[in-house]
Amino acid sequence: MPMGYEHLLIFSGICIATWLLVIYLVPRLMLSIYKRAALSQGFGDGPIPVNTLYTQPQNLFRDPLTPLPPGSSKLMNVGTNRDTLYVVGWLDLSRGSQVLHVPDMAGRYYSVQFTDPSKNINFAYVGKRATGTYAGDYLITGPGWKGAVPQGMKQISSPNNAVLVVGRVFVENDNDLSTAYNLAKQIQLSPLNQ
Amino acid sequence: MSRTYTYFITLVGAVCVFFIIRLFFFADLSSRTVQSDVIQGILIGFGLAVVTVQVYGRLKGTVTKTNGWTTMYGCGEPGNGMFFRAAQALVFVGPINVPQESMYWFTNADGAGQTLSGTQNYLMHFPAGQLPPNDAFWSLTMGDAKNRFVPNPLKRYNVGDRLGLVPNADGSVDVYIQHDAPAGHESNWLPAPTGNFILWLRVYIPSAAILNREYKIPPVVKIT
Repeated sequence: MPMGYEHLLIFSGICIATWLLVIYLVPRLMLSIYKRAALSQGFGDGPIPVNTLYTQPQNLFRDPLTPLPPGSSKLMNVGTNRDTLYVVGWLDLSRGSQVLHVPDMAGRYYSVQFTDPSKNINFAYVGKRATGTYAGDYLITGPGWKGAVPQGMKQISSPNNAVLVVGRVFVENDNDLSTAYNLAKQIQLSPLNQ
Repeated sequence: MSRTYTYFITLVGAVCVFFIIRLFFFADLSSRTVQSDVIQGILIGFGLAVVTVQVYGRLKGTVTKTNGWTTMYGCGEPGNGMFFRAAQALVFVGPINVPQESMYWFTNADGAGQTLSGTQNYLMHFPAGQLPPNDAFWSLTMGDAKNRFVPNPLKRYNVGDRLGLVPNADGSVDVYIQHDAPAGHESNWLPAPTGNFILWLRVYIPSAAILNREYKIPPVVKIT
């Protein structure tokens, strides 16, 4: 082997590895903004603790131009829809499984989207399309979880311990806002075995 | 994906390819160091990654543009490969829904390709029976050049199936997109800012006609 060809090997190896890594990491880097928004900045009422859900306040929906306190994330009122109230949370299932409770939505459109933040794919849905609008409890378990699913609950297996949860509850119009908010507020998480 | 951006991406791609060809066929390898191999490998790898995602996004059928409206079918689905997942970030920032739950289109240009601006008046015409088919609802939302909601006297930030659009006599629906209220058509007015703006069209639980790409969003047309 002539002198210097090892440089081509090193260069090519590093180049291909960087190429693949960057492409692979794009969704993760993008959703890390959402992680930071939820867990460090919050949407106007301070950071959202891990494994809890935050409901978009009514005044922010009524007038999305309402100024937010400094330091809070604008992700909930810039580039978003004005059709649904948002419910947002970040899960860490390594601390234990979580139970998602949804109230009876009485036919109202809503959805709760479970996103794997390492890939930006939605591995499960609860909501009008996916599960209907009756009240229900869903057990959200991390990878490798072993145990018995309590009676009356359906299991949602997450491929990752980190989960981004985005809920959307339809608001018909301004007169419907408080009804929609009260329902959205009842979409809640609690730890299993409590 | 503007033309300027296309030129930039092409330039990055050309520089990377030029560098690799020069290194492999014309460089004096004996004078190289491992340090430069690593640094240049990272830089070129990064450049190629950016170009790859852009090129993948522009392949036929990945990111689609019809009547000025841009969308991407199949976002957020569990089987998506890493190139598709990266390309999705070019179009939609954030954790958007799978298509069965909701489809999104956006545009910053009218049907003729001219940038949308509040100095002009626009009309969006849905022929009779051609509102976006769905099993939940649809909406058309206004955003300024920075994607923020636009202040207006009605505090109206979107229009849609439930927000009092009045159909024409023949059953078609016109949406008036302009800065000043259209006399006699206030109920169908989507207030625009004075400057450039973008539009978002959302359809929740879209029908098969949308998912199989049959349904086309009508263009935004400048009124002269």
